[in-house]
Amino acid sequence: MQTINDDSARLAACGCVTPLGGAADTVAALLKNERALRSVPVLGREGGDPVPLALLIDRALDETVPPSWLAAIKAHFAPVQEAGWGSPRRPVYVTSSNFGVGSLYAYRRGGDPASLPFGAVPRCVDWLRREFGWGENIAVFSHACVSAHLGLLQASRVLRAGLAEEALVFSFDFLSPFVAAGFHALKILNADLPAPYQARATGSIGLGDGAAFAVLTRDRGDFTILAQSLHNEMHHFTANRADGAGFAACLAPVAAAAAGRPVWLKGHGTGTLEAGRLECDAFARVFAGSPLVGWKGSLGHTLGSCGLVELALAAEAIRTGRTPGTVGTVAPVFSDSVALESFANGAFDGAICASNAFGGAHAAFLLSHA
Amino acid sequence: MLERFLQDLRTDDPGAETPAATRDRLKGRYAPGSTRRMTLLGMLVGSTLGDLSAAADCTIVYASSLGEGRALEDYLASFPCASPTLFQTSIHPSGVQQGLIGRQQSVRELFPLAGGPQLVVQALLTAMLVPGPVATLTGGEERGTWLVESGAVSDRSFAYAVRLAREPGPNPLGRLVLESEIAATSPGLSNPVDEAPVPRADGIAGGALSHAAWFELLHHRRALDGPVAAGWRLQLIWS
Repeated sequence: MQTINDDSARLAACGCVTPLGGAADTVAALLKNERALRSVPVLGREGGDPVPLALLIDRALDETVPPSWLAAIKAHFAPVQEAGWGSPRRPVYVTSSNFGVGSLYAYRRGGDPASLPFGAVPRCVDWLRREFGWGENIAVFSHACVSAHLGLLQASRVLRAGLAEEALVFSFDFLSPFVAAGFHALKILNADLPAPYQARATGSIGLGDGAAFAVLTRDRGDFTILAQSLHNEMHHFTANRADGAGFAACLAPVAAAAAGRPVWLKGHGTGTLEAGRLECDAFARVFAGSPLVGWKGSLGHTLGSCGLVELALAAEAIRTGRTPGTVGTVAPVFSDSVALESFANGAFDGAICASNAFGGAHAAFLLSHA
Repeated sequence: MLERFLQDLRTDDPGAETPAATRDRLKGRYAPGSTRRMTLLGMLVGSTLGDLSAAADCTIVYASSLGEGRALEDYLASFPCASPTLFQTSIHPSGVQQGLIGRQQSVRELFPLAGGPQLVVQALLTAMLVPGPVATLTGGEERGTWLVESGAVSDRSFAYAVRLAREPGPNPLGRLVLESEIAATSPGLSNPVDEAPVPRADGIAGGALSHAAWFELLHHRRALDGPVAAGWRLQLIWS
């Protein structure tokens, strides 16, 4: 029997930055089927095969000192820089997969010790702490591409335990040759653009820059995050169980909480074939008839930040009344539920947001109006 | 005030042992051939975690400040021909996933933490807030080589796994009490614990309990009573 824990929290504020802009600009661009992905040499200035990457405007793949992405975060995320974050009653949850590891790559290739202060996780987080004026009450979660979900869940639990008044979840992942070459070596990042949930001969992903934040509270905000669920298959480092059991186990508590309400589905949808098919099948079994979209065909996979970036986009889509379709994908697709075009979402009573990661890690939650 | 009981504990301190000797010591714990692609941290964490008595818990909290140091170093050195295996194993939380995948042990909730001065207290807080009756806290570090001097990887190896339960059970090893110093003064929240004070442990630098110092407390079963990070106090009392 599935237990439903009360891990709900109110969403007082959220935002994101992608290569298409902030949340409003990104949703507007997705509604116009724009793709941020561009063909970039996998090793940046050192060349290599061209692969689809979505980099922030004017940002090169090669790391700078200090990292060039900080300016974009500062420009878009005023709430993150408010006074008081990181104090005992206003904790910060930093989540990422790569942190500043691109700086370690730059150090290895170029030998400049000026890169070192941004590379290792503790130093990178401390640098961000000083840049944003945070106190020291900071937790750091890193679980590859479900990292952001862990920050949301733990922040919710701290709030419900009465240990905080509000919590800031901050998530970021910016590309570098370190990560691009890694996925290229795994042969899932190739010259092709991703087409999430499309039945085609060869799967492929794209990668993207992304950062996002969410301010969680117990009782303020227009949205509620409900029924946060995790599951870790531990079946294989990169593959999921072929029977889809991991997807089903993660979605079951969320489906129980949704209790038959009409929802639309924001899937993980990177563009790999087997995971895309399993995800489509799992959603179709649990949420029959609900439209499924994925946005990584435009934005690329923003890795550890994707759960929070796509939460901000889902909230913005609900505010605007229209959900972007699965940009970059054409028929045939794995399931009739895959929405290729945008649709009005006023008749729906929430959205399921799901992410997956290495190790068969799954995460999902229900986003609804408060 | 959050309270949990230590029901089971395993630690491994390789000390001056060479990585090759540690691998040789631990390889019998894994299926033949499976350790070829495992990291030292993966073998250390996997062994301590695998030695815990069986329990029906489904939450694991994993703490590693710097994670897979050697895999990171070797992956960086593999460029321009990036190694796919080293890329995978360099990614947090590979250190805990390797052993669990080897045992095909699914986990409902896995919370991998990393990073700085609040690593220990935040890992404890995460474990103490899981809804179930039991959670396992595991962690470790891996001694690196060429990135040690820069502080980007750890300068020592160790691993531990401890099972934390809401109820003491028949023979608890000890008790943990974590308290927010702010919350303790707020109306409606619990008062500080009333046990006799025990000495404050060494290894609390800059007001924060380091990961290595936390490991030493567990490994040597030393008591602690005092601040462990900004705004947090911890009591560790052994039976």
